[in-house]
Amino acid sequence: MTTSEMRDEGKENIYDTAKCRLLRKYDLSEQDKLFLFRFEDPEIAMNWRYGPGQFVTVSILGLGEVPISICSSARTMGFFELCIRNAGRVTSQIHKLEPGTLVGIRGPYGNGFPMEQFANRDLLLVAAGLGMAPLRSVFLYALDNRWDFGNITIINSAKYGNGLLFKKELEAMKDIATAEDISIVQTVTRDPDFEGLHGRATTHFDKVNVDPKNCAVAMCGPPAMYKGMFEELIARGYDPRYIFVTLERRMKCGVGKCGHCNIGTATSWQYACKDGPVFDYYDITSIPGLI
Amino acid sequence: MRYVKISKQDTYEFLERLKKIGTLYAPHKVSEKFYDFCEVDDVKDVEFDYQRTIRPPRRFFYPEREVLFTFDTHKVELYENLPSKEKQILFGVHSCDIVALRTMDSKFMDDQPDPYYKVRRDNGIVIGISCVPDEYCFCNVRRVEFVDTGFDLFFHELPDGYLVRVGTVVGHKLIDPYEGEIFKEVCPDDVENMSKFEEKRASMFTTTGNWDTLRYFMEMRLDHPMYMRESEKCLGCGNCTLTCPSCKCYDVQDIPSIDGRTGERIRYWDSCQFRSHGLVAGNHNFRETKLDRFHNRYQCKNSYCKDTTTSFCVGCGRCTYFCPAGIQFKENLMEIAGYKGGTT
Repeated sequence: MTTSEMRDEGKENIYDTAKCRLLRKYDLSEQDKLFLFRFEDPEIAMNWRYGPGQFVTVSILGLGEVPISICSSARTMGFFELCIRNAGRVTSQIHKLEPGTLVGIRGPYGNGFPMEQFANRDLLLVAAGLGMAPLRSVFLYALDNRWDFGNITIINSAKYGNGLLFKKELEAMKDIATAEDISIVQTVTRDPDFEGLHGRATTHFDKVNVDPKNCAVAMCGPPAMYKGMFEELIARGYDPRYIFVTLERRMKCGVGKCGHCNIGTATSWQYACKDGPVFDYYDITSIPGLI
Repeated sequence: MRYVKISKQDTYEFLERLKKIGTLYAPHKVSEKFYDFCEVDDVKDVEFDYQRTIRPPRRFFYPEREVLFTFDTHKVELYENLPSKEKQILFGVHSCDIVALRTMDSKFMDDQPDPYYKVRRDNGIVIGISCVPDEYCFCNVRRVEFVDTGFDLFFHELPDGYLVRVGTVVGHKLIDPYEGEIFKEVCPDDVENMSKFEEKRASMFTTTGNWDTLRYFMEMRLDHPMYMRESEKCLGCGNCTLTCPSCKCYDVQDIPSIDGRTGERIRYWDSCQFRSHGLVAGNHNFRETKLDRFHNRYQCKNSYCKDTTTSFCVGCGRCTYFCPAGIQFKENLMEIAGYKGGTT
């Protein structure tokens, strides 16, 4: 069997990866970098689609694979960006990669945010720490389809000022024409030297410029934040049918096989990779152990 | 469904003929207490009466460790390492294990099928055999003590041979060449004997009823003291999950060669009872304590499998039989649900 035949056969294999070239990397914070990738195979590049909130697995041969949220606009054909924190064995190696390097990509996986349901509503995006990565994809989607959405408010929070992801990019939104009715709130919780807002996301609801009755909420952050935000949102009259969060779990396969991301209880046993990672308010409040 | 009869003596002859079709595996006595599926060399070594094998039959379709890909780090290429299409014949599988394989199918052969599992399953032949329960068995309350599907042939013990149910076209083709020779027509006495066997078998279970209400009781009693009490005994060894016929968690690892140029991407069985199962980068663990992991297994095993309409646990009793800490899975579940149990 020739190599090309083997590759063709391999396309059917759900665990096979597609080659992607790292084009650029940018520093976002001390631990986080933004990576721009492009598919090598033009056919895959033309046909590869994903939705906000979905993720891919990045494969570094010899080290393994890691699941990473896609953080770019769903419109950029063949290109995608990943915001990766230097946190573990594989991600520390990804941080060392130089532009031009090839990696393997599988995906996109997961259900993603239901953007069709979000249409014609205001948007409130609440991120803490790395949470801005998947939400940036939601935000860019809304900008790409600006006429489908009402007012947009983003609350971006982090422990320290230098950990606020996409801080400059979000600040720059104020200056561009499409940014009417877009409010950006950036706050830090543990950095007294930070010039800007302080305190948790929940303390800045006075700066939120959306109509609670007609707003979709997407959140990504630590589970502890979700609990506080749920209470706050419900108290302020947000529609619980339109509150969505995305969860993190250990994932190996991304396709509902390996079992690591299992969540729920006996009647609601689910895999975060396939049934999630985006869950709504009712999932979270009715299934124990999700947050 | 088609029914035929075979004598005990002819069964050995049939096994000989099966060996010519593919690799034949059947239960063997491997130590004083334990049985396991082994490749059949001498058909006389096959055990027809056994309680449970130490290793579950899923390993023939989903081995403990397998190479998914080999790779070249310079070319950044993965090379698929699919299993061969050789026929594997499993003889003597109990009904619980047959349903367990179907629960595996529900995850590994869904809309995104696992190609490794699928190749082996598509080329596998499963031949079931009837059994009688011991005190660890509770397949009856799991509704899997008698299977309608998932086997190619099923051998039901009769005083003078076996009544064989033919489950699939594959099974039909296995017996067709020997029809009238070693496979005979079923007579009314045989049916009567099978009916008696089933009746006697049903009376031997130590649990009675139907445990479909179990998962609801489990949810309403998530904080039941049983979990804390029993998880304190747990050694976290993972025996329960390794011997479980329906456990399917795996981990994946890249093993580079010494020069780092090539290597293998392997997968191997993982256990939710290990601390590493829920551990992510940054040292955060989604199932930090032994109690969390213990709880997780009880929920997972009792969750609902749409394909079989049963729970993933099939009541084979392995997790209790092979638990070094003597944790009684069946009794613990009965405690949660408040079931009084059966005849004993």
